[in-house]
Amino acid sequence: MEEKLNQILTESLKEIANANDKTSLTEIKVKVLGKQGELTSILRGMRDVAPEDRPKFGALVNEAREKIESAILEKEEVFNKIELEKELAKSAVDITEPGINHEKGALHPTTRMFNKLIDICVAMGFKVVEGPEIETDYYNFEGLNIPKNHPSRDMQDTFFITENILLRSQTSSVQVRAMEKLAPPIKIISPGRVYRNDSDGTHSPVFHQLEGLVIDENVSMADLKAMLTSMMKKVFGEETTIRFRPSFFPFTEPSVEVDVSCPTCHGKGCKVCKGTGFLELLGAGVVNPKVLEMSGIDSKKYRGFAFGFGVDRFAMVYDGITDLRNMFKNDVRFLKQMK
Amino acid sequence: MKVTYGWIKDFVDIDLPPEELAQKLTNAGMEVEEIIYLNEHLHDVVVGKITKIEKHPNADKLQVCQVDIGDKNVQIITAATNIFEGAVVPVSLPGADLANGVKIEKSKLRGIDSEGMFCSGEELGIDENFFEGASVYGILILPKTFKIGQKIDEALGLDDVVFDVGITPNRPDCMSVVGLAREVCAVTGAKFKSPDLTYIELGEKASRQLQVELKSSKCSRYMASVIKNVKITRSPMKIRQRLFGVGIKLINTIVDLTNYVLVEMGQPLHAFDKKNIFGDKIVVRDANKGEKITVLNHNTYKLDSNDLVIADEEKAMVIAGVIGGTNSCIENDTKTVVIESAVFDLKSVRLTSKKIGVRTDSSARYSKGVYFGSAEQGIKRLLHLVTEYDLGDIYGGIIDKNNGAPKSRQIKSTAEEINDILGTNIKISDMSKILNDLGIKTEIENGALICDIPDYREDIENSYDLAEEVIRIYGYDVYDNGSVKEAYSGWKLTEGDLGEKTILERKIKNVLKHAGFFEAMNYSFIPPDAIEKLMITDNRKFMIKIANPIGEELSCMRTTLAHSMFSSLAYNFRVGNKSVKLFESGKTFHPNSLPLTELPLEKNKISLGAFDMSFAEFKACLENAISETSLKFNLVRSKECFLHPGISADVVDEKGEVYASFGQIHPTVAKNYDLPKNTMFAEIDLDKLLALPEKRFVVKPVPKFPIVDRDLAIIVKEEITNEDLIKAIKSACGKLFYEVKLFDVYRNASLGQGMKSMAYNIRLSDENKTMTDEEVTEVVGKILKALKFRYGASLR
Repeated sequence: MEEKLNQILTESLKEIANANDKTSLTEIKVKVLGKQGELTSILRGMRDVAPEDRPKFGALVNEAREKIESAILEKEEVFNKIELEKELAKSAVDITEPGINHEKGALHPTTRMFNKLIDICVAMGFKVVEGPEIETDYYNFEGLNIPKNHPSRDMQDTFFITENILLRSQTSSVQVRAMEKLAPPIKIISPGRVYRNDSDGTHSPVFHQLEGLVIDENVSMADLKAMLTSMMKKVFGEETTIRFRPSFFPFTEPSVEVDVSCPTCHGKGCKVCKGTGFLELLGAGVVNPKVLEMSGIDSKKYRGFAFGFGVDRFAMVYDGITDLRNMFKNDVRFLKQMK
Repeated sequence: MKVTYGWIKDFVDIDLPPEELAQKLTNAGMEVEEIIYLNEHLHDVVVGKITKIEKHPNADKLQVCQVDIGDKNVQIITAATNIFEGAVVPVSLPGADLANGVKIEKSKLRGIDSEGMFCSGEELGIDENFFEGASVYGILILPKTFKIGQKIDEALGLDDVVFDVGITPNRPDCMSVVGLAREVCAVTGAKFKSPDLTYIELGEKASRQLQVELKSSKCSRYMASVIKNVKITRSPMKIRQRLFGVGIKLINTIVDLTNYVLVEMGQPLHAFDKKNIFGDKIVVRDANKGEKITVLNHNTYKLDSNDLVIADEEKAMVIAGVIGGTNSCIENDTKTVVIESAVFDLKSVRLTSKKIGVRTDSSARYSKGVYFGSAEQGIKRLLHLVTEYDLGDIYGGIIDKNNGAPKSRQIKSTAEEINDILGTNIKISDMSKILNDLGIKTEIENGALICDIPDYREDIENSYDLAEEVIRIYGYDVYDNGSVKEAYSGWKLTEGDLGEKTILERKIKNVLKHAGFFEAMNYSFIPPDAIEKLMITDNRKFMIKIANPIGEELSCMRTTLAHSMFSSLAYNFRVGNKSVKLFESGKTFHPNSLPLTELPLEKNKISLGAFDMSFAEFKACLENAISETSLKFNLVRSKECFLHPGISADVVDEKGEVYASFGQIHPTVAKNYDLPKNTMFAEIDLDKLLALPEKRFVVKPVPKFPIVDRDLAIIVKEEITNEDLIKAIKSACGKLFYEVKLFDVYRNASLGQGMKSMAYNIRLSDENKTMTDEEVTEVVGKILKALKFRYGASLR
């Protein structure tokens, strides 16, 4: 009997090991462990065993059954794993097919540049202040030391509504309003839309500016340079440098044009900067004391500096947009590229 | 402002390469925009003498010429007919690249070598005004005095370089050769050579020949000189070379000299033929109302008392500072001239020039401001040139009527103050040198800078102006590699503030971006007919008009963003873009009255536009955007004129205040803009949303007991709205209500005419216990009863 049991065990384990699929495993199970199975029939032959040997023999049979059962289970696990892998392989998708999605839109490049610049300025401690787009002559010109019929008015072609009301040609108008309203120290930026009667391939009658104004007791041209350097690094990258060139604006004295090292070639010279390595991007200067006085700020005590730039142009440089007309055409084939 | 390098050298001894000087000037704020070489197309062209002319053996119309070009002889084949043996002519040699684009090479013409070409005036880029014979058809025949073998640019005086300098409006004094020469001195350290103002005059007095009466405050100085026996001819070569170089038309000796002085000294002059001055008296006066004058451009202008004229006792002869009349101009037979050198009020000249639309070199100059001393220097310089070139006899004494010279100005500053403005540590001695080099006489007294401001520097009024003079010459590179003051950092320590408007605008834009909308940007201008196209009849039809628009299409300030959006959508539709969704954030402009007497109301709006999108989809996007705010809103049918009355709604609060209107656009408007019928539009009033309190939430506990779902499909009449049914369901559920959602609408003839089926998912929850089936069935029964009672609804 014992011999037969060992034989069944050995053979069963061998068969299990050799089984190729789940069906053959089931067959083995039935053949060995089933009601008519080999092991069951051995158990049935128990009555032929001497009573004193029965417990021992019973234990042997159970041991054999456990071994076979666990062997079957183990083998089943193997088959399950294989099946799962097959299933996974079958359900693979073409990962290169386009994603199905509610298609995202995009902000206008000018807005994106506005957001970037405003965030940088706010982090540097500037307050955002806005003002009307339709302005009086005073806030747009006279309060900025640009009297009527003065040659410096020639610098800007202005849209007029009446003799005294116009479309602001610069967001500096907001600075005059702010200086009247706020007491120093003042540190504001005025983002917004401005208008000039000039329309060709490189001029849009509507464009956007961001101007900044700082008024405090001890500020100087050196502070302006340091601040603009830091700001432009934040906009165009750490390697950015700026340089000042003398210029003229009626509301600043001294006045400078600010050249920013070309973000495309980093000053080496390329097509974007026409080989100069720099782009003329900002105007700036120390606030003319006459402008402070006109707005009721004591120019003996306080000094200020101001800067301003065209945001559309910044955006174009930043995004490599070459045709200004695209900025106001609203063609989704253009806008989609900024997604 | 164009000047030639050679001309500048009359007043400064320098010999820098033109590019280097240009860079220095640009760095000092005199931006050299262009450097033009007058001889760019004159290289490899020399003066030659034809020594022999023979007929070409193989061509009837060609001639073979032997030409002496100084160091050698060359053979040239030509078809020209105006040449002769002994003629002195310009000879272009191989390598020449002429003004008309012709490039010269050695060649063979009908078997015979030709080593160059004779040039016409046109091929050299010159005309009859500049050089006699230059416009003759054929070869330019040069005077026999020209040196054989000399380079043609030298021979013609065109070996010069022109700088085109951008002059900022604060520096009218630099709109002259002399002014720029002073800048050159400051940037190079060279010494300024003052222009020679000496001349020889007759014993007879000019005041016996002419009277001048100054009757207007628009003229602060009027000087006049009388010259007899004038020679009205072609100007001397040097005058012509200079004026040709800077692009001024050559006329005759006297007119050319006035132009020469204008460019050189920055003083406009005017020349009269004395015989046409009635009564030998010049009256400087305001024009009479309606007074007419015919001027050199052959137009006649009607003037008024805002305009200044130079008149005699019976007629206006010149519109002062702008343009001369035909009744007193210099003719070829003019014998005696009167030269005017005056200072006119810049505003008066600007206004008149603008009003009549005439811009001349003189008006351009006067419009920027001419200073008191300039009149005297200008007229004396002209008299000097008359003497130098022997062009006439000058009567003694210059007539000078004026309202008194302006007071000389002195400004006191300190190095400390200037350094404080600049944030630099520039030495006082450096400052003083720079200012002196610029012609600002500066002394250092007890550590202070005492500056005598010359009358031509009206722009310098205080220490800030002096600081600019110092730094632009000292060099802005001081901030990169020089000594800079430790920056005061107090101003850096401030709190930034984005502001409520920017914050809300960004939130809404972000929602729209993620809903698939692209941001558009349009001009704020729309055409007047937009009102008709949009069928607007309310106050928005009163648009603010721009007095000087780019064109009719861009002449009105928009009162709604609709026109801009429809135009952008139509453009996209036209070019075949599919499923376009756009939004725009911008202002609309609303006048209190027209014409404007005060600033208008400006409203911040956001518009949405789309085609290939259903009303329901569009509505969801709009609601999502508005849900960024605390607005509790209802929807009511919209009365917006450009929207479809049945497929549009207004977003209102409980008081009925409209925050937004949206929906499908009116079919007529769709037609007006060539847009598809299913175009959607919305306009949100950002300002009204901004006035709302911040969005806050009162959070309820999450239900402790399970939520029960029931789906109900009911049949109701078409006119019963979703909102009606939901309200009824909510109230029928009472405290047990958790959520309700419409998930299907079904229309079919089998439901009966004018009927629809509405399917709702209703969710119930009891906060105290798990609901039993009986309880749920009871609630559903209540709902059905309520719906039936109120709306005649039946279960489907």
